[in-house]
Amino acid sequence: MSPTTVLYVAQAVHGLAYGMLLFLVASGLTMIFGMMGILNIAHASFAMLSAYFCYQVLLMTENFWVALLIAPVVAGICGILTERFLLRTVHKQGHLAELLITVGIMMVILEAVKVGWGAESLVVKIPPSLSGLVNFAGLTYPIYRLFVIGLSVVILGIMALILFKTRLGKIVRAAVSDADMVSALGINTPLVFMLVFGIGIWLAGVAGAVAAPLLTVFPGMADQLGMDAFVVVVVGGFGSLGGAFIVALFLGELNAYGIQFIPRLAPVLMFAFMAIVLAFKPMGLFGERE
Amino acid sequence: MKNHRHKWILWGAGAIFAAVFPHVFGIYYANFFVAFAIFSLYAVTLNLLLGYMGVLSFGHAMFFGTGAYATAIALTHIPGFPLLPAILVGGLSGGLLALILSPLLVRVSGTAFAMLTLAFGQLIFVIALKYREVTGGEDGIGGYSIPPLNIPGVVSIDMTDKINFYYFAIAVIAVCLFILWFYTKTPFGNLVVGIRDNAMRIDYLGFKLPQIKAVNLIVCGAFAGIAGSVHALLMKLVSTVGVLDISASFTPILMAYIGGVGSFFGPIIGSGVLHLLEDLVIRFTDRIGLVNGAIFILVVLYAPMGLVGLFGEAKAKWFHKGKVS
Amino acid sequence: MNILETKELHHDFSGLQVIFGIDLQVKEGERHAIIGPNGAGKTTLFNLITGTYRPSRGQIFFKGQDVTGARPHELTRMGMGRSFQITSTFNRLTTFQNIRLAILSKKGIRFQLFRKVDKMQDITKETDEVLKRINLDRERDMPAGVLSYGKHRSLEISLALATDPDLIMLDEPTAGMSRDETHHAVDLIRRLTKGKTLVIIEHDMDVVFSLADRITVLHYGQILATGPPAEIRQNQAVKDAYLGELGS
Repeated sequence: MSPTTVLYVAQAVHGLAYGMLLFLVASGLTMIFGMMGILNIAHASFAMLSAYFCYQVLLMTENFWVALLIAPVVAGICGILTERFLLRTVHKQGHLAELLITVGIMMVILEAVKVGWGAESLVVKIPPSLSGLVNFAGLTYPIYRLFVIGLSVVILGIMALILFKTRLGKIVRAAVSDADMVSALGINTPLVFMLVFGIGIWLAGVAGAVAAPLLTVFPGMADQLGMDAFVVVVVGGFGSLGGAFIVALFLGELNAYGIQFIPRLAPVLMFAFMAIVLAFKPMGLFGERE
Repeated sequence: MKNHRHKWILWGAGAIFAAVFPHVFGIYYANFFVAFAIFSLYAVTLNLLLGYMGVLSFGHAMFFGTGAYATAIALTHIPGFPLLPAILVGGLSGGLLALILSPLLVRVSGTAFAMLTLAFGQLIFVIALKYREVTGGEDGIGGYSIPPLNIPGVVSIDMTDKINFYYFAIAVIAVCLFILWFYTKTPFGNLVVGIRDNAMRIDYLGFKLPQIKAVNLIVCGAFAGIAGSVHALLMKLVSTVGVLDISASFTPILMAYIGGVGSFFGPIIGSGVLHLLEDLVIRFTDRIGLVNGAIFILVVLYAPMGLVGLFGEAKAKWFHKGKVS
Repeated sequence: MNILETKELHHDFSGLQVIFGIDLQVKEGERHAIIGPNGAGKTTLFNLITGTYRPSRGQIFFKGQDVTGARPHELTRMGMGRSFQITSTFNRLTTFQNIRLAILSKKGIRFQLFRKVDKMQDITKETDEVLKRINLDRERDMPAGVLSYGKHRSLEISLALATDPDLIMLDEPTAGMSRDETHHAVDLIRRLTKGKTLVIIEHDMDVVFSLADRITVLHYGQILATGPPAEIRQNQAVKDAYLGELGS
């Protein structure tokens, strides 16, 4: 195979991996917005927090799998506490106050990790079982990236199953679509909110922990991911999981190819695209919420 | 009329205070005061969007930064570029940016507006980082000196003298703040507040909503640009850090909220509080961001109208107590 | 002369048809009531006429000009005024400031950046006069959001009237009002619309019959009947549609 094809395929895999990470982050973000009307500015910060937790657990247990398991859960718990004690209090003040509080939370998390772990980059090593390359159809792929893709697919598959095949999932989907209606049906909406928020954060946490070996752990690691996640949610549609999926993958590939071939133009194009969608279709390409 | 006299006395005292400040507190604090003034103006322009028009500008640094870079570029590339035009260039750039973006910005409000301004703010940040030939990339632009204040045939004041610069900067910012204060008192200013309360009704009363929003945006962009210009002159170095990055967009939001979004002077008070706080906290820890963030969360939760709001509540209670007894 | 006329007005929301061809004529100077069961399309009709929506088909004529698709602010400048079913005022501004905005619009003061609005004596005087006429002078400096329901509704109607329109469209002005408040409101409306044209959506039949010169009955997005009150009262189809809601 020619070197160019190898390059294209490598970029495609990278793009797919990044797109999956993006979707993990964006899916929680879009569901939270759809259900609670809150655009969680701090969403990617929780991903970063989870990466730091992953580093810490790895330090203590030397076991990547344990770290991968625990870190997102801890992040998810932080998310639930945030929802319960901060967001719920500010809910009555309206959407602007909710937005601003998430900004404050973002700032606090950013500074807190600096206090806890300093400002330099920390290295999380890919475990030996996942490092290296694998050969397939005459091309080599980095195993870890394939792992990222694989893990994301599994998790998202489980999420999809729960959402579409269980009663709880039905309630959540209904709440994302119309929380007031669900509340009127007698369902404990605050509990559902807390649950969805927690799971949304957990998903972001998984993305953060999994991305830790790739991006290295430092206070700015989630900036790009966070911004891209916003673009995904805005363009894909607030509250639309399908839209988020399509746009996340598209953006992942755009990023990968863009950075390779048109490094100076890529981010400009992306933001320009988001700005235009936002101005003409404020609900996103597939969104429905008010 | 007693009220009026009180106000004049207060302003007079303030002017005298500002006039003797550098002689009493020294150069370091003179610069500190200028920084406070710059961010006061910057935060006020943000509040003209947030408290007055009801929209949250999440990328406000793009106006500040554009003004700063414009001034720096002018002073670096055009030898002998005079002082006042340098600041004007900053203001015009900020206003021009707002003008260019206004067709998109006036179509949205609420979360969408916040997201759109965030996106544009980030876009400009990335452009400044990548187009090194113009902006110096991560290193930024530095090494220019402040031109003298030249009134042809009358006087030429050397601005490299820090005391002279102090007076000049404070004067410029005071004038800008006065203009903006007056702006809020005009019929147009009333319209802007109307938009905050009920944009639809403004439309139904016969006003052209997009045009009004655009004008307000341009005013805010221009004066934020002027704040950026003065900042460029103060620091003699312009890079994306603290000027175009995300924290440069959040700082005015913090200041406006802590001071009080419901008043014109709130952001000024917020700027003062935050600057004093930073000066204080920095002696103990580097983590000023944590303190700011925590205070911000507390303010949003428990004192959404900021210090001015709290003061107003206290005053009301005090007067009530007086009347009852 | 018909100050307002619609020709074959149709409207649908993403395929859901709600207005099925309305030919409405409102004579200059008359008081015209639009009634009909809930969901008949009355407010949608208002929204079409006042420019909130662009009709999917059909035309609207105001003062003889084709204004189909015109925006609300354009129609207001041409002399239309509209109040809302759900009170929609500037709640954090005072009653005075609310009305003043309307007066500023009436006088064409839109981009005035060089005078302090509080110092514009003629504006202040005129606003105070309006407040007196609508009985809100005592509530002058209260934020609109804290007004009692009846007074708030009064302000709502007055905002529509303060720009001195030739055609006044009121959407359920007395909604939620007590007997007394309704009485005052009708009195106010009668006084302030003298010599003007009034189109009013109402559910309160006493109000309709005491104010209206002509009534149009809307049902399922179409006009069921149009005519003077006495005729409408006798109309069998109308009676059937309402099932005895009309008073006698």
